[in-house]
Amino acid sequence: MNQDYFTYTDKLFSQSELSEKPEALKGIRVLDFAHIIYGSVISKWLALFGAEVIKIEEPYEGDFWRTASYWAKYWKDSSPFFQCLHPNKHFVGIDLKTEKGKELVLDIAKKSDVIVENYRAGLMEAWGIGYTTVSKINPKIIYISCSGYGQWGPLRFFPSWDLIAQSMSGVAQLTGFGDKQTYKLPDYYGDFLPGIFGAMGVLGALNQREKTGKGQFIDVTQVEVLFRMMHQWSYMDLTGEDLLCTGNVDPSMAPSGIFKTKDEKFISIAIATDDQFVALMKAMDRMDLSGDPRFREAFERLKPENADEICGVVDTWAQSKQESEIIGLAQELGFPAALVMDDFQIVNDEWRKERGSVIDFEDDMYGKGTWPGTAVALEKTPNRIKSMQRPIGYHNHYVLQKVLNFSKEQIRELEKDHIIGYWGNSIGHRPPVYYEMSNDPIINFTEGEEK
Amino acid sequence: MKPAKGKDQVFSRHLAGKTASEHLSQFNELLADLMGSSEGKPEVLDDTTVVEISHANFPALISASLLGEFGAEVIKVEPPEGDPAREASPYGVNIKGIGIPFLMESRNKQHITLDLKTEKGIENLKKLISQADVVIDGMNPGFLDSLGVGYRHCIKLKSDLVYLAVSPYGHFTSKSKAFSNIPDTDLTAQSESGYPSLTGNPEAPEPYNYPVKAGVWAASYMAAGLAVSGALTALLYKRRTGVGQMVDIASYDAISAWQCYSIIWGVHFKKPRVRVGNFDWSIFPYGYYEAKDGYVTIAAGSDQDFRGLLKILNRWDLENDWRFVFDRITDDVDKLKALEAEFKKELAKYTRKQLVQKTLAFNKKAVKDKLRGQGFPIAVETLSPREVLNEEHWKIRKSFTEVEVGGATIKMPSSVPKLSDTPLRLKKIEAGLGMHNKLVYEKFGLEE
Repeated sequence: MNQDYFTYTDKLFSQSELSEKPEALKGIRVLDFAHIIYGSVISKWLALFGAEVIKIEEPYEGDFWRTASYWAKYWKDSSPFFQCLHPNKHFVGIDLKTEKGKELVLDIAKKSDVIVENYRAGLMEAWGIGYTTVSKINPKIIYISCSGYGQWGPLRFFPSWDLIAQSMSGVAQLTGFGDKQTYKLPDYYGDFLPGIFGAMGVLGALNQREKTGKGQFIDVTQVEVLFRMMHQWSYMDLTGEDLLCTGNVDPSMAPSGIFKTKDEKFISIAIATDDQFVALMKAMDRMDLSGDPRFREAFERLKPENADEICGVVDTWAQSKQESEIIGLAQELGFPAALVMDDFQIVNDEWRKERGSVIDFEDDMYGKGTWPGTAVALEKTPNRIKSMQRPIGYHNHYVLQKVLNFSKEQIRELEKDHIIGYWGNSIGHRPPVYYEMSNDPIINFTEGEEK
Repeated sequence: MKPAKGKDQVFSRHLAGKTASEHLSQFNELLADLMGSSEGKPEVLDDTTVVEISHANFPALISASLLGEFGAEVIKVEPPEGDPAREASPYGVNIKGIGIPFLMESRNKQHITLDLKTEKGIENLKKLISQADVVIDGMNPGFLDSLGVGYRHCIKLKSDLVYLAVSPYGHFTSKSKAFSNIPDTDLTAQSESGYPSLTGNPEAPEPYNYPVKAGVWAASYMAAGLAVSGALTALLYKRRTGVGQMVDIASYDAISAWQCYSIIWGVHFKKPRVRVGNFDWSIFPYGYYEAKDGYVTIAAGSDQDFRGLLKILNRWDLENDWRFVFDRITDDVDKLKALEAEFKKELAKYTRKQLVQKTLAFNKKAVKDKLRGQGFPIAVETLSPREVLNEEHWKIRKSFTEVEVGGATIKMPSSVPKLSDTPLRLKKIEAGLGMHNKLVYEKFGLEE
């Protein structure tokens, strides 16, 4: 018991023993109709923790996001921004426009635990593969429909993107310096947050099913998840006032802001409590202010005129200090301060690799790469990466034999009739140029011939 | 809950036609049946007791709140003087000394006080933990351990416990140890995740050219969503195997790890992104634009969408030079600005409503095209929260709940996502300091 706490926890979460640990979601099969980001991150969470995810794509066309890459730069003919959303998944190409294709996915649905989809509301229903159909053939199914506005209500068929959801929720007017300088939340926040809330819903439903054996339907919407994180609703109700852009000041923290240091770095400081305020004043050698009635207590300090005043004092001080000095003082005295990091610093931060949120992984097809994990670490059932993206239809033979017990002949019949299909030769779709697909054990998978 | 009255506006040819309508009307009936009311329905975590011990830690507060919405019995433990998170609120606005963020995340919780500086307080906490299923540790890493109620002590009290640790840098690694004294805030978490580096306009005058923080608690809510997903994953594993475990979330890493893009960019480009104002890094147009009477949001990602927008704005003359998505990317911001200037000129000619109507009218026709070759550009009004409240859709969906707090009734966002059989619920907000002492002390056999 006298062991240092961090020595103890380091051992609990040690990355070196990761592959020997069990997977929390092993044995859970996910039929994944998600595309682009929003639904895909739900199945990503499930795949990272051990679920068997079968991603259905239209032959040759595939997920639109396969070809979407920043600045049109590709890596081994793939988009790393697609890769990172699809670890550990199985890739099956089925033409859903054919009756036989629909039958095929319903057959897989019968043997699945979770279905994820983020088509336009109602589309899966119109195609005859919605919850009304699947729940009849598989009452254990957990079916999550992801949309901008939900499966009912007058706006339900209206299209949505991350940015459209930001606008429809009011989030759009909250970031920046006001009317002429308002910004969106970058990197598709309107997909990633609703995505993780969707995953939360699925995991809740899986817990319930463990008790009752029964599945259920989940309706997750981008806009309502964004509502859930906004203080504006109650604020408007209580004060009658709007609460819009506040620049770099967090109106719930005083002082707060992003400041420029002497060595021209950006640093953020935000004070949440009276104790933290005293700590900051001590760091600034301004203990005279710690007892000032304008600043001593949070509710006084947060009043706009007082907050402005104290932010100005911090701004002047920060300009006279090196970034490392301020962080050092924060560590010593205990107030919230952090460097405004950038992409490159994040990747090169050893801390993240030790935590497993940045993962070095060598893939059978793509070789060495560095990929994102999650910020959550589970001691006994950690998440892990086992494979990266594969071309459309790569797992056709594998999945149809393993899940539906199809014979090679039946599969060839489906191929001949164009019910199942494969990738096209375009960038983002084709395998890396050096890869010998003809020797690949999965694309040519034959049941019973496994090593 | 009821489906829309009258004829739906449909923007997909897949949703038109007889078979589709039949399927959809069946779906509507099912939805009315499934999603209509929460009454009498069970709760996922009605068998789960959660003890939350946190100090000015919103990711921890929110996580406990979400578990409460799933039906857990959540007991928040505070020192006699209260959790200072109570006092963090926009401009200090509060109800009887409790700020908005704390109220919002007190969903279904019970609030008790325990003085952990005393032997009796520790004994009481131990007694509570021995009857709990989940402990949320939102204190500085190592603090509860130093009191003899850390994870390694807790599993002696309850062998299958799920211990959810929520802190800025997590509870393991050397950095976590070195920074264990640094408290959580949303702004500093955003910064460590690199989020403000992606927003802003470096050409604006100082300090408007600085990196810009997200104007919502983007990091705290992302961290909470991840933490609860982690806890539910661990609880599922416990239900299946009987084995509990420790779950650790680093709130300062939540956005950067989950949103992926910073990591991908850092790896593949070997340099950070610079701030590009209203532009997106991979699609154009995808941003806010000034119309005659306010802002509109335009999203036209694919080449077809872009062409559709050119037709709507009567600027087909631009098509030849900007045809492909590769022409419209931000590796050359100056070049793209020329195109943006043309767009701004056109968009300023119309009112917000006109632009939305023109786009919808175009799309209604365009979706009949079998190959979707006409594109599907989208324009919506850039709404303020106040404008959002006028939207009938959210009233029909009951997306907001009126909650009684300290004699006042205030509006809060309803629970999400919506589960048909075990709906999440916002049942009550009773956040007074120590107001459940009697009830909880009695139920769990704690000493007064």
